[in-house]
Amino acid sequence: MASASEPIPAADTAAKMLPRERSWYPYLLIAPSMLMLVVVSLIPFLYTIYLSFHAAKFGRVTDFIGFDNYAVLLADARFWNSISIAATFVFIAVPIEFMLGLIGALVLNQNVRGRSILIPLLFMPAMMAPIVVGLLWKIMLAGSWGFLSYNVLERFDILPGTSVFASPDYALYALIFVDIWQWTPFMMLAFFAGLQALPLGPYRAAAVDGANSLQMFTHITLPMMTPLLAVIGLLRFIDAFKVFDTIYILTGGGPGTSTETPSILANKMTFEFWNIGEASALAVLVWIAFFAFCSVFYQIAKKRLNAF
Amino acid sequence: MAEASDRPEGSKGWFWTGITIVYALIVLFPIYWMATMMVKPNDAMFARPTQWLFTPTLEHFSYVLDQGFHWYLLTSFALCSVSTALVVIIGTPAAYAFARFEMRGKDDLFLFILGSRMAPPVCLVIPFYLIFAKVGLLDTFTGLTLAYMTFNLSFYIWVLRSFCRDLPVELEEAAALEGWSRLQIFRRVVFPLLRNGIVATAVLCFIFAWNEFLFAFMLGGKAMQTLPVSIPKLITAQGVRWGEMAVVGMTALLPVLAVVFVLQRHIVRGLTLGAVKG
Repeated sequence: MASASEPIPAADTAAKMLPRERSWYPYLLIAPSMLMLVVVSLIPFLYTIYLSFHAAKFGRVTDFIGFDNYAVLLADARFWNSISIAATFVFIAVPIEFMLGLIGALVLNQNVRGRSILIPLLFMPAMMAPIVVGLLWKIMLAGSWGFLSYNVLERFDILPGTSVFASPDYALYALIFVDIWQWTPFMMLAFFAGLQALPLGPYRAAAVDGANSLQMFTHITLPMMTPLLAVIGLLRFIDAFKVFDTIYILTGGGPGTSTETPSILANKMTFEFWNIGEASALAVLVWIAFFAFCSVFYQIAKKRLNAF
Repeated sequence: MAEASDRPEGSKGWFWTGITIVYALIVLFPIYWMATMMVKPNDAMFARPTQWLFTPTLEHFSYVLDQGFHWYLLTSFALCSVSTALVVIIGTPAAYAFARFEMRGKDDLFLFILGSRMAPPVCLVIPFYLIFAKVGLLDTFTGLTLAYMTFNLSFYIWVLRSFCRDLPVELEEAAALEGWSRLQIFRRVVFPLLRNGIVATAVLCFIFAWNEFLFAFMLGGKAMQTLPVSIPKLITAQGVRWGEMAVVGMTALLPVLAVVFVLQRHIVRGLTLGAVKG
């Protein structure tokens, strides 16, 4: 992370100094990869756009129908419901993960011993298969015998006798809880990596001036960390918006439509209702939103962090 | 790199260590709990109140083996190895080119790669399903390998490029002045220095493929069942086989456990797509 404080212009000079002439060589190097990405990414994307303008049900693509699929989608209460579910999920989970992660990073940045064991272990939730995350919490929160269901929810009379994932009122919050469990440790370690890369000079100077630790945090740490916090927060925001596997295994979007995010809805439209036209329209809208988020991430990371 | 031990608050170290350990234990508890379920008899599993002590049993393991779950393990392993190898072979030159050379429209190409990485898999699975059905790639090894390229090739190029940028360009320039060919420069100068970055990024690709669920579930069909896809199979008409699920789940966790200890610092860089150098 040293590049935040002292940009290393390696790539720029490299690009200027090595082969000054615009040759065919770099294009040859990227050709196989770009060809592959055109096949597995660009063509599927263009095909989705094509599908979204056609009547396509049960796998049969028929007439061109203009924006009809989009019109149907935008008039569909289920679509707007899925947007609001995703918004609730993201806007509750991500800020909590962010705050707890920042606090955790500050704690870890104290003189904590045994980091070489603690840090890898805290990476576990972020690195494990989402399907296993789902399995873990299905076990912990299973109706009647689940460890947390019995020892917490039932003992304190919050939700006795049933699994929290079967409750229309609480299922979404249980999913948010699982997301927080999974991602707070990673946020903590990412922020910690940023803290470790901060230069010590300003802290020494502030200590000489008699600043207390709160002042050091608000006047030194926070300003220097802002771009990094923004980039990591935005990335988490994007990832949280597309969570699929965990929700699919834990609630499948239910009960009813109470945890049905756009990802779950698009999947149901495709593989349950076989309404491919409308599902494609939904996919295109989600895709456009993601491209917007991605370019913001790219700009911030490139300009403020000098990362790319 | 600043070491926290330089900072003045050193004396309270044990207090903060204690807090961190307690937090880690809370985070890891569900994993421990699932691990115990591998050897827990069914009556102890469903006991109310929660039963901490029990006589261990191996019945869940034998059921899993009887049902042939080791074949799913093998499928997973083969698929992840082949797709990761392919990513390394075609992605390494591209990452190097993006780090070192000027190209027309480089920024746009680069954003296209990021877009491929970030695209929600649910959006991709629709066109993949229809296209694969047409060209006969559904339920095939090749089909899934191709589908995994979408997120892993783009990821690999993006992250390895950040490793390339960390290398001093002077060595390559010196080699160029010596009259070495471009291929020689790449093989003898760049590759040895880049080896750790290649391994770290490739291992992350392997794990992403290992963990992948949706593509394998929708495009793999009966013929290509990976370990994650096999877990829901244990929700049977006779009830949910929790102990067996725990066995398969822990098996799926083993490579991850190895990787977190080996990769450590590279994980932050990987998961932030090179934005934060851990």
